[in-house]
Amino acid sequence: MSRRYDSRTTIFSPEGRLYQVEYALEAISHAGTALGILATDGIVLAAERKVTSKLLEQDTSAEKLYILNDNMITAVAGMTADANILINYARQAAQRYLLTYNADIPCEQLVRRLCDLKQGYTQHGGLRPFGVSFIYAGWDNQRQFQLYQSNPSGNYTGWKATSVGANNASAQSLLKQDYNEECNLKQACELAVKVLSKTMDSTKLSSEKIEFATVGRTEKGTIYHHLWSPDEIDALLKEHGLAKQDEEPEPSSGGDPAAGVAVH
Amino acid sequence: MYVMEVLLGITGKDFTIIAASKAAMRGASILKVNDDKTRPLNKHTLMAYSGEAGDTVQFAEYVQANVQLYSMRNSTDLTPYETASFVRSELAKSLRSRSPYTVNLLLGGYDPIKDQPQLYWIDYLASCANVPYAAHGYAQYYCLSILDKHHHPDISFEQGMKILRMCTDELKRRLPIDFKGVIVKVVTKDGVREEPYEDDKQVLAP
Amino acid sequence: MDALVAQYSRPAHQEGFADEDQQQLTADIQPPLSLKFALPPIASSQQWLRAMTDDNSNPNCPIKIAHGTTTLAFRFKGGIIVATDSRATAGNWIASQTVKKVIEINSCLLGTMAGGAADCQYWLAYLGMQCRLHELRHKRRITVCAASKILANLVYSYKGMGLSMGTMCAGVTPSEGPALYYIDSDGTRLAGNLFCVGSGQTFAYGVLDAQYNYDLSDEDALELGRRSILAATHRDAFSGGFINLYHVKEDGWVKHGFTDTNGVFWDTKLNKGEFSNVTANLD
Repeated sequence: MSRRYDSRTTIFSPEGRLYQVEYALEAISHAGTALGILATDGIVLAAERKVTSKLLEQDTSAEKLYILNDNMITAVAGMTADANILINYARQAAQRYLLTYNADIPCEQLVRRLCDLKQGYTQHGGLRPFGVSFIYAGWDNQRQFQLYQSNPSGNYTGWKATSVGANNASAQSLLKQDYNEECNLKQACELAVKVLSKTMDSTKLSSEKIEFATVGRTEKGTIYHHLWSPDEIDALLKEHGLAKQDEEPEPSSGGDPAAGVAVH
Repeated sequence: MYVMEVLLGITGKDFTIIAASKAAMRGASILKVNDDKTRPLNKHTLMAYSGEAGDTVQFAEYVQANVQLYSMRNSTDLTPYETASFVRSELAKSLRSRSPYTVNLLLGGYDPIKDQPQLYWIDYLASCANVPYAAHGYAQYYCLSILDKHHHPDISFEQGMKILRMCTDELKRRLPIDFKGVIVKVVTKDGVREEPYEDDKQVLAP
Repeated sequence: MDALVAQYSRPAHQEGFADEDQQQLTADIQPPLSLKFALPPIASSQQWLRAMTDDNSNPNCPIKIAHGTTTLAFRFKGGIIVATDSRATAGNWIASQTVKKVIEINSCLLGTMAGGAADCQYWLAYLGMQCRLHELRHKRRITVCAASKILANLVYSYKGMGLSMGTMCAGVTPSEGPALYYIDSDGTRLAGNLFCVGSGQTFAYGVLDAQYNYDLSDEDALELGRRSILAATHRDAFSGGFINLYHVKEDGWVKHGFTDTNGVFWDTKLNKGEFSNVTANLD
């Protein structure tokens, strides 16, 4: 029955559904989890990396977290190839805005620009929707630190903490349970790794399995974003006793990565 | 002819004053004596223009429409700095087109986030400069020296109007063409308003 | 891919957003207000036109455009007075003494003609068409404000291509009351109380400004309009013929004759004692 309505994106089913969009959402629910948490002084994005191999070059194959412009980063859940198109588009849009207005594009505007593009692919015939959900973390003059999420339908929403991808329901409920509105960036990082450790299949995490990024403010008041290096991630995991090696967790031996990036 | 048109801008502690001459001149005639050469772009930005007949209003209304469209789409206003950058980029684009707009502009505004008055001097070659006071046309030659001498960044509104009076008096004294006085508008944190300005007094060169 | 992206994304925020949207809007709602004409295959139409038509620098120029006019219009408490002369000249040659320089756009809207006669006639007729279409689409008469803007935008789109017109739109609408606009081929559009346009404008201004008053009676206003045109026809070689006089009122315009200047001149001279520089007797 539904065969007739699910092969074209532009056609509603008799129940008023767009199957292709729902299939895209389904594809994302198998992707590695990504989550974002808004803190008072910054935002953390964390993502699970599904493809891991000893042979994989760590530095050159970021697949979940991307920089959009000077004050915005994004986490991807879904098809990385699709995401690349959208990210390229977003980067261009951000630069174009910078060129005309001499100011960074407000976060919501950039999110909306991307979502308008995504929406187009749910309506125009013969095109497959983008199989990607994003979590965006950014800062602008108007609304300070902001966290957004968008999905293949072209909908976007603002959040204090959110997650997409596999197990996002359980991640969401963990976040709901443990999120504290007054938390700082350091506490948010801690919450992020804790949630990830519970939603991921493997019990012990390592820098090969997750990606981590923060947006924050330096002591001088300028906004920075930072994609964490494997060493910094390992140090964080170690600090919270979630590291892969079965050593005794050493309290604060690896330094404080959240503070470490502040000089970046 | 449009070097005879007067555009003046003065910033102070918490305001920007924009003054524009009221005469609309064409050939040997003054066609209108109460012409308003300004357009409000959004709540906190006002643009004054002079230049090639026809181009001025067309460009000003084009910019105005776009700035207002931005406000509607994004439910937030462009700051004066962003507006000036936008206007500059439009002029720069036009300059490299087949028929460029020959328009000189003063963009006065108040930045509600930084809580600062702003003034931008923009010419038809798409130069854009953030300045404390500015003028276009022959008015530059008379008024900039006056402003250099009497202007300070933290002057009150009353002091600002006093300096403006010195400027318009000097123009009446020395400019060879009657520009029919000026329309004065003020941008503050509360928005744009027109300031009544007495123009009847005759000023004679000593 | 870029083509796809461009196709489904919104027009980029700035460099063209209004441009494209605007064009979209006007294209969707109605046929474009600006017609498309084939232009001659030359580098600069303006320069070419000047070379072909400038009678002053080249008396043998192949085209002599009809020029030279006095037109005036002013607002007063009883409505608007519109007055023109009727002479058309092509170089030093008087091409016609009976030109109708007031164009009746509709029963409540008048346009005047100065500059290129053909340009004015064509585009004011076109404006009349647009005004009628507006009326049919919106079920009410177009405002003078809107009508004048259609014309201003139209001539602006041909800026630099050699159009030559100086016109006034006068009319009365329920929303505006009496309204008067000046539009010229530079693209200038001004609202005002009083305008004189054409080679005789200065002479007309001289008489009109001195006695103009918003509270003029209908008779005095008509007389002032007539006298101002007379003054211009007397001093400006390119103005003359007949005085075409209109009065625009709330319920439409009223025509007050197409009077030979000769009669008006002698009447003014002999009965009022003006024009004393002209000697009436031959001795």
